[in-house]
Amino acid sequence: MHRFCNFGLLLKAHIILLVFILIISNSVFAANDNSDRAKIILRQIDDLWRGESSYGRFTMRVKTQHYTRTLQMEGWSKGTEKTLMRILKPLKEKGTATLKSNDTIYSYLPKTDRTIRLTSGMMMGSWMGSHFTNDDLVKESRMEEDYVPRISFEGKRDGKQVILFELKPKPDAAVVWGKMELMVTLPDYLPVYEKFYDEDQNLARTIVFEKIKTLSGKLRPSVMRLTPADKPDEYTVFIYEKLQLNIPVKDSLFSLSNLKRY
Amino acid sequence: MNLIALAARNVNRNRHRSLVTIGAMTFAGMIMILYASLMEGLFLSTERNALAMNIGELQIHVKGYRDDPDLYTKIEGSEKIISKLAANGMTASPRLFGFALAAAGISSAGVQLRGINLELESKVTRIHEHVYKGEWLNRVDMKGVVLGRKLARTLSVNVGDELVIVGQAADGSMANDLFQVKGILKGVGEEIDRGGFYMLDTSFRELMGLTNGIHEIVIVRDDKTVEIEQVTDKLSAIFPHYEVLNWRKLQPLIAEILDLSDINIYIMLFITYIAVAMVVLNAMLMSVFERIREFGVMRAIGVGPWQLFSLIYTETLIQVCIAVVLAFIFGLPLAWYFQLNGIDLTQFISGMSFGGIAFDPIWRAELTQRSVMAPLVTLVLIALVAVLYPAIKAAVIQPVKAIHYR
Amino acid sequence: MKLISLAWRNVWRRKRRTLITASSIGFGVLLSATFTGMALYMYGNMIDASASTGFGHITISAVGYNKTPTLDKRISTTDELREKLIREQGVADAMVRIMGQAMFASAVKSVGGMFLAIDPSQETEKYNLLIRLIKQGNVFTDKDGTGVVVGNKLAEKLNLKLGKKLVYTTTDVNGEIVSEIARVSGVFSTGVAEIDGGLVLLPIDRVRNVLGYEKDEATLLAVMLDNQRKADDIRHRLSEKLDLKRQEALTWRDTQADLAGMITIDGASNYISQLLVALLISAGVLNTLLMSVLERTREFGVMMALGMSARQLFKLVLFESVWLALIGLVVGVMITSPWYWYLDVYGLDFSAMLSGEDYSVAGVLVDPIVRVKLYIETVVIILSVVFTLAILSGVYPAWRAGRIPPIESLRNI
Repeated sequence: MHRFCNFGLLLKAHIILLVFILIISNSVFAANDNSDRAKIILRQIDDLWRGESSYGRFTMRVKTQHYTRTLQMEGWSKGTEKTLMRILKPLKEKGTATLKSNDTIYSYLPKTDRTIRLTSGMMMGSWMGSHFTNDDLVKESRMEEDYVPRISFEGKRDGKQVILFELKPKPDAAVVWGKMELMVTLPDYLPVYEKFYDEDQNLARTIVFEKIKTLSGKLRPSVMRLTPADKPDEYTVFIYEKLQLNIPVKDSLFSLSNLKRY
Repeated sequence: MNLIALAARNVNRNRHRSLVTIGAMTFAGMIMILYASLMEGLFLSTERNALAMNIGELQIHVKGYRDDPDLYTKIEGSEKIISKLAANGMTASPRLFGFALAAAGISSAGVQLRGINLELESKVTRIHEHVYKGEWLNRVDMKGVVLGRKLARTLSVNVGDELVIVGQAADGSMANDLFQVKGILKGVGEEIDRGGFYMLDTSFRELMGLTNGIHEIVIVRDDKTVEIEQVTDKLSAIFPHYEVLNWRKLQPLIAEILDLSDINIYIMLFITYIAVAMVVLNAMLMSVFERIREFGVMRAIGVGPWQLFSLIYTETLIQVCIAVVLAFIFGLPLAWYFQLNGIDLTQFISGMSFGGIAFDPIWRAELTQRSVMAPLVTLVLIALVAVLYPAIKAAVIQPVKAIHYR
Repeated sequence: MKLISLAWRNVWRRKRRTLITASSIGFGVLLSATFTGMALYMYGNMIDASASTGFGHITISAVGYNKTPTLDKRISTTDELREKLIREQGVADAMVRIMGQAMFASAVKSVGGMFLAIDPSQETEKYNLLIRLIKQGNVFTDKDGTGVVVGNKLAEKLNLKLGKKLVYTTTDVNGEIVSEIARVSGVFSTGVAEIDGGLVLLPIDRVRNVLGYEKDEATLLAVMLDNQRKADDIRHRLSEKLDLKRQEALTWRDTQADLAGMITIDGASNYISQLLVALLISAGVLNTLLMSVLERTREFGVMMALGMSARQLFKLVLFESVWLALIGLVVGVMITSPWYWYLDVYGLDFSAMLSGEDYSVAGVLVDPIVRVKLYIETVVIILSVVFTLAILSGVYPAWRAGRIPPIESLRNI
């Protein structure tokens, strides 16, 4: 009797200990799990647009206080480092091209037949008259390096299953934002909106994703609209007409000499 | 009358003494005229340079433009405004501004595009005289541009070189065009030296796609004697929806420097007058005390103290009047010489800028009513005040003492 | 010898006249001392102030940097160089710095400007005006950190407060565009809009990293001197220690050409003004001496009749003018000294005439209280010039004295 009682106690202690350990380890794994999961989902979203390589044709419309502009453009990308975009219409601007190679941006201007390399002073200037800056072009491919993502909400919103990501910049990342929010719907991880906040949690600008269509074999938002928070009447809209992913794209496409060909 | 005759005779009698006294006063008067004229020249040259190159006397902008310069913040209907200004005795010139990137070879720099109206600009500023290499803009050469000297150096360009301008046009597209360096400016001021890019207004409009509207109107008075504050108020009333400011408000720093140097100048003038006073006092004292014995005799024979006093005063008046005339005759050409030639300060500097303004390294005198009349009038006053003490002394001294005076 | 004592006695025969003339000479000394002193004080201040905004009294930089300041021009072995320079006589301190242009951005907007990358352990309030004028927070302590100090106008434009972040973007040695994050550790306010709105202090090692510089490379060494007037001499000495193919030593006149020009012009007009005043005083002295000669024609006639030569008379009057000049100098020193002491200790407060804030000339701050600063050389020069002019004024009268024929003079009663 005495021996049986002792064994029972010991077992109980072991079980409690085991359960305790399991509980702790579960939460630890859960934390990593959150960040990892966030990373995985974000990569998927990225692939929606970029893939290993891509070719797209789109219309960009910009409405500001002073002008409304509509351009038809085409663009190629390879990985996250190389991007080439060219204006097709209107005729006046046809052939104007932007080449991004790693962190450098070149602009080709057909009127003067000159290629210039953007200086640090121009990085904060607007790209093609839109609400995006040249710097955005460079920085958007570095999101994974610069931000730490985590899932801040998972559940139903407006009758749909969504995940809300919160991305905080790493302490040594050279980004001006205080935080970013990204909302996607399940099950396809389609982005709904992206919000940029300054360090004081004030909303600076919003990108919404709309008009889900089948592009390159998958359902994706075909419209991306950027609205600055301080000027709600203004916007920059990208409307994708054509998108082809993971097509063979040569490295030589992203060269200065190729910029000029149109 | 009797008094005057007597005084005149006395002056003539002591010819040497009188000549020396008159000489001293004349010399003092001449120096004063020269000095005052040089000071006037100093006033004018700093003002002139500061304003004549770029700022003008008044400027009109859309309210808020200066704090946040924007291509779209424009003044509309500039032609009407300019003719209205002309009707009010002002000459005005419209300007267009924009920011862009200039690139030549491998160098590039941010520049401030300045689209100007050639004819009107030359009436309002003197920048067109300030070209160091090459030449100024002209209507025919539409792609010609003139650069600030430091900008030219940063871009490593010389007259005749080509450069490309890239910026954002009014419709959001990328403005770009090729231009040719027509001229390089001398030092004007930090801002223009580093980023000044002068071009024709028509070329600016074509480049930036800005078909109407301008950013700044620069104004100078036709009649310089009208008070600038008055003008500012008048124009503000005529154009209440725009911002009208004079150069003092636009460049408070320069205004302060000039005010300070004005004070400096007045102090120097004052000091110089004191020096003159000392010379005259000296002369007067001696000319009276040397004759104290003579005056003692006069008193002894019955000349009253008041009469003696008046006599001395009249003698002084005669002498100082002669001195004034002589100072005028000789002082004017002297000052005139320095107005034409000036004092050459070039050995000290070479096209520098101070407080944001270019400095003309020749210091010229400027003969004005003020620079001639003030010294002469002051000379008379000083002489009359200086002789007060000795005249009183002479008038009240006891005859016996006077005769034995040593 | 006898002539000299005779001259002395002659001078004192007319006490009043002598004293008045001596006073006017003394007044000339006073004027000259005051104006020169005030000007030198102001210039010295401005030179020191401007030297502490970046380049120092003497600047060691790469050859050609002064003409075209671009980030690729740099000097190396700066730590070694600094050690050498600090040991030089006359050198108070030396700071290693990098200067360049950059864009500064926050979530609100971006603004272009200049940066001054410093090692806070080398910088002091004394020699760094910006640090001296920090109004909020402090200068950062880590030279490889993210702390930066901005001007208050820049902070306003970018909506920055202490602790908030900003991103600066510039071009590195390879021409690549690079960005770095930073946090505001302090805010300065100089009162000069261009500096407050367009200058940022960055940590030097971090900037070296960002630009791709070596560990000991920098744009320049700012050398501060004990006495800025020795700048030219010290520059020569320092030049000998440099590798002249790659580095050059410049004085503030080269690096702050605007200030140098202004000082020169102001100085020139000052001297010319003083010259005119001196001429006036000389006229007074001439007047006095001439009168005294003219009234003594009889006396001189007698002396010449008794055997004195014209030459001796000339010398006599000349000595009289020498004495007069000396007395004038003594009077000058007597009246100037207390006045000078007052100016040195209390100064003249011009701040009422200027608008509240510190104001600047040629981009350099000026203290509204004007004191004086005279150097031995200056004093010697002033005194010698006054002395010489006084004596020169005596030449004509002395000459006149010798010219009077005895008979003529006797006739003059």
